[in-house]
Amino acid sequence: MANTEASLKEALTTIDGAIGAALVDYTSGMALGTVGGGKDLDLTVAAAGNTDVVRAKVRTLELLGLKDEIEDILITLGGQYHLIRLLKGRGNNGLFLYLALDKTRANLAMARHQLSGIEAALEV
Amino acid sequence: MTGRSVSPMLLRLAEERATGALLRDHGTLYLSEGRIVHAESPAAPGVDVLLTAGGRLPRTGWQEAVDKAGARGAVGRYLVDSGRVGGGELEICHLGAMFDAAFFALAPASGPTRFRYGVAHWFGTVRPVSAAAVERETLRRRELLDAVWPYEAVDSAPVVARPPAPGQTVTRRQRDLLAMADGTRSPAAIAWTLGRPAFHTLLDVRRLAAAGLVDTPQGPPQEPAGAVPPWVAAISDDPDIAQLRRLRDALEATL
Repeated sequence: MANTEASLKEALTTIDGAIGAALVDYTSGMALGTVGGGKDLDLTVAAAGNTDVVRAKVRTLELLGLKDEIEDILITLGGQYHLIRLLKGRGNNGLFLYLALDKTRANLAMARHQLSGIEAALEV
Repeated sequence: MTGRSVSPMLLRLAEERATGALLRDHGTLYLSEGRIVHAESPAAPGVDVLLTAGGRLPRTGWQEAVDKAGARGAVGRYLVDSGRVGGGELEICHLGAMFDAAFFALAPASGPTRFRYGVAHWFGTVRPVSAAAVERETLRRRELLDAVWPYEAVDSAPVVARPPAPGQTVTRRQRDLLAMADGTRSPAAIAWTLGRPAFHTLLDVRRLAAAGLVDTPQGPPQEPAGAVPPWVAAISDDPDIAQLRRLRDALEATL
């Protein structure tokens, strides 16, 4: 039963190569909490921008008629991974976890696994 | 920031680390040592609606928390300690409701703004947020609405659904919203029924209007709903403490 700040801090400290993490409401694009980031990566801007990514993908699934839900979205840059994990819990109020990773230091499979653990700990 | 400010008074109170309630035309912000701890507006569903409308928390559970912990201003704490709601969940729900109410409370208004020092909200503190963050988010939200579909009229008019074009689809959340659009409910009423934040519903309605799935009314916009009753402006800066004490004693004697 962690609060958002503790969960995000955990993501940043336990996931190898993590640069920044945010919990984002994807209807409004508001970051409910951010940890890390810095001048090279403004997490509130990233949060707002990535809501468009999530909404586009949700709409695509509707267009395709796929009765399935998005677990996570991976964006691969030259030097970073950006991982978006949609939260499913009981409230299901349209939130996602956003994690930026340094490509040279990150283990993608491990990061995905750890991120799902953090989602569970958040209890939403 | 571009130098604009939604409420110079709010920033001044934040600077002087004030504690109390900032009363504005469309809602109230509660500050504790200069940070915002709670907000409410008649235009935005409160935490209680967000938690109970979706069936997440039974209405009786909410009522019990208010009865048991309302007097000591720790309703949020009680909900978590009694195991009804998870700590992270409450925090997210409360933050959502707070930013939502703040958006309406900080709407441009001509009415008077007052500050009552020392007032605290009975819900209790969950996660204080800086006034600057609330102000920034409020401005971002205003711009977002206009970027999506710059027609304010859809915010207050009854939502009228239009048939989708061939091949056009809507997401599940939008479908739930459109199912409520019976031609009489306004976006605010839909937000209340679905237990969603009011801003989120406005944004969804504007997105639907931009996609042609909701009518955009022509003509002059209606009077925005959700202003607080006029007596709020008439609250004196100098409360009659003695009378309040007598009232409290009388209430305590009867309860």
